[in-house]
Amino acid sequence: MAKNKVSFKLKSKLSELDTLCQHLERFGQSIGLSPKCIFEANLALDELFTNIITYGFDDKKEHTIEVTISHQNNKLIFNIEDDGIPFNPTKVDTPDLECTIEECKIGGLGIHLAKNLMDEVCYQRCKKKNILTLKKNIKEAEPAKKRMKG
Amino acid sequence: MEIIEENQSGINIFKLNGRLDSNTSQGFEKKIFQAIDDGSKSMIIDFKDLEYISSAGLRVILKATKALKREEGKMMLCDMQDYVKEVFEIAGFDSFLRIVGTMDDAIQSF
Repeated sequence: MAKNKVSFKLKSKLSELDTLCQHLERFGQSIGLSPKCIFEANLALDELFTNIITYGFDDKKEHTIEVTISHQNNKLIFNIEDDGIPFNPTKVDTPDLECTIEECKIGGLGIHLAKNLMDEVCYQRCKKKNILTLKKNIKEAEPAKKRMKG
Repeated sequence: MEIIEENQSGINIFKLNGRLDSNTSQGFEKKIFQAIDDGSKSMIIDFKDLEYISSAGLRVILKATKALKREEGKMMLCDMQDYVKEVFEIAGFDSFLRIVGTMDDAIQSF
């Protein structure tokens, strides 16, 4: 039976995006998620992770970001914890999406994408850690399929 | 990520293969700006084999499109998978970038 929870640690460097993708794909495939759903979850986690390691640390030390993904009752729940400076992405303003190309700025876009691809984003600061909890509803048409032989 | 560069009747074509994220976007930025510095005014980015794009990739495309526009050049994007196109839509970029279905459509627009 597919496990409904996976936890892993990422180092604070961009090359860990590949590790994040591998964990997510393996978990997603094991519970029968569609490629589109895996893509969207990957993008949301990528943007938040990239944001943490780009702006989250004011020293040069290597930090660890802990990620937990679980699947319950047609929901995917993601937990991301880091020990960086306090930062609440839910308070970041949505960029102006009606702008022209000349006015268009890229700031805040990653967080906007992440919020859009998730159904809930919650932030807590607890024990000097930033804790992000994201929830994504998955459609009932995507249950894990058991392969039948014969 | 792999980037294949081609030139077809004066149009610079970049075929992207793999994942365009904050890990790979710098390499892409270098290549595309090299072409702009070399005087290219007509560009197509082929998304057919691109599996993944994040805001870091969108940033490079926005920056390059702005630079080309200043030079009175033009950039076309073609052949996106649905979920890649959705990222452009959520970002609101589909309102000012020129996204078409196929490579033929892109070439004919020049």
